[in-house]
Amino acid sequence: MTIDQIITAISSGEKTAEQITRECLQKIAEVNPSLNALVEVFEQDALAQAKAVDAKKARGEKLGPLAGVPVAIKDNILYKGHKATCCSKMLENYTASYTSTVVEKLIAADAVIIARANMDEFAMGSSNQTSVYGPVKNPVDTTRVPGGSSGGSAAAVAAGMVPLALGTDTGGSVRQPAGFCGIVGIKPGYGRISRYGVIAFASSADQVGILAGNVKDAALALEVLAGKDVHDSTSLEAPVPQYTQQFTSDLKGIKVGLPKGFLDGLNEEIKTQVEKAATNLKTRGAELVEVDVPHAKYAAPCYYIITSAEASSNLARYDGIRYGYSDRGAADLNTSYESSRAPFGVEVKKRIIIGSYALTAERYEACFLKAMKVREKIREDFKKVFEQVDVLLTPTSPTTAFKLGQQDKNPLSLYLADLYTCQGNIGGLAGISVPFGKDKQGLPIGVQFYGPILKEEKILNAAHHLEQSI
Amino acid sequence: MEITKKDVALAGKLSKMRVSDAEVSLYEEQLKALFQWVDELAGVDTEDVHLTNVNLSAHIRPDIPCTDPALAQTLRDAFPEQEESCAKVKKVL
Repeated sequence: MTIDQIITAISSGEKTAEQITRECLQKIAEVNPSLNALVEVFEQDALAQAKAVDAKKARGEKLGPLAGVPVAIKDNILYKGHKATCCSKMLENYTASYTSTVVEKLIAADAVIIARANMDEFAMGSSNQTSVYGPVKNPVDTTRVPGGSSGGSAAAVAAGMVPLALGTDTGGSVRQPAGFCGIVGIKPGYGRISRYGVIAFASSADQVGILAGNVKDAALALEVLAGKDVHDSTSLEAPVPQYTQQFTSDLKGIKVGLPKGFLDGLNEEIKTQVEKAATNLKTRGAELVEVDVPHAKYAAPCYYIITSAEASSNLARYDGIRYGYSDRGAADLNTSYESSRAPFGVEVKKRIIIGSYALTAERYEACFLKAMKVREKIREDFKKVFEQVDVLLTPTSPTTAFKLGQQDKNPLSLYLADLYTCQGNIGGLAGISVPFGKDKQGLPIGVQFYGPILKEEKILNAAHHLEQSI
Repeated sequence: MEITKKDVALAGKLSKMRVSDAEVSLYEEQLKALFQWVDELAGVDTEDVHLTNVNLSAHIRPDIPCTDPALAQTLRDAFPEQEESCAKVKKVL
């Protein structure tokens, strides 16, 4: 069921929140063992929350905007009294001591927190193969990856286990798995949603994102989650529109930018779908405008330097004293640090090493500082582009879902999976992936819209029209 | 940008991580490929970019010197053992 359908069913009395929750629990029991999308199900807590919603309705009280909607949360989002492990051995025994703002908001909206979702370890990855709980399988084809790092959240929604899931997106970790699994994934602009209680990977790029079955559901969830939070100084003070009320009847007067060169060398089937998407938008009244984003091609190397540098700093706290696994038997302090940090997986260790190397006195200027400067050029490009157009249309990913284990031998090709999505994190933009057609193998193809910061309504509207045009 | 095994080992040491010889070899190979890609950034003209620093004082509580002699004495009394100019605290490891 979609969120819209659940809200209608509960408000009309056709179903109770408890029934909806039990249906999801049943689906999880049937499907999750073969997909490994959810790493823990909060059955008793979820049923208690659902019953509380039903009791509230019985008392005649006004229900919240997500009343009775079961939600899965990525394993790096804190929910007091529940484990939050980042799917890492490092945090296997960590239980959240407080609740994140996003989960607080969901609970205040009467949603039901039903499970925590699998992810790439510490959100580092594009295939959900680095989790300590094992890989997630794509519900469309279980021999393939669901994308990552929010692969568990995406697979859970795509398989119908939950209608809504939260993920985080540092370089495309919501939009890329949404594209691979054939659902909608939105990463709002930097600062639109609070990150209080979200375990940090790279603070200048991390954002909470939403995975849902359709654009309207994603818009409903964003209305609940967006807004200033006094606990997060990076969250922005700006009114939150009723996004679902911003959908227009057509796209007349809307300018859709098509970045020059973005489709060069791209997989033919994906290229064809992006071109078809542009045609459909034009049919609905949009004006197509070719635009130049000359520095966007440098976003991926900038992304890997900047986020790895930030990760090397953020993950320094897992030293066995402040956070994480602790080797209590070490002979001295340095040995204690080294053995306490041993549980990090191969990819996490690699990114910390990249970051530390880029920040050494010898490399700082040529690597980190240069990447920061190029990032400013990219941001300037996007700023100029959004003076000309309302939204940009791009592919979400250069490929459809690949086979499990296929990219292991060549990690750089895995990094290229973020080619189109990391531009949004480097630029601080709002981005949404919407499913649009399939390739010859029946695998979903995602297309992406970018919009300026605090203009999520523009990308939601464009995505809604594209969804309706299928 | 040339990456050597020595660079990888140094970065591992700076990160307070134990990196085995096998891991050093693996990361050296992968970092070489990544940093060749990063080398492309060198060709971008960034002469006109002037990064601005965030005003940290807006986010970080300033150090406030303790001017209350009674509080200072209470703190000193809590750690009576001293060695040179340092207070001795309980061993944490």
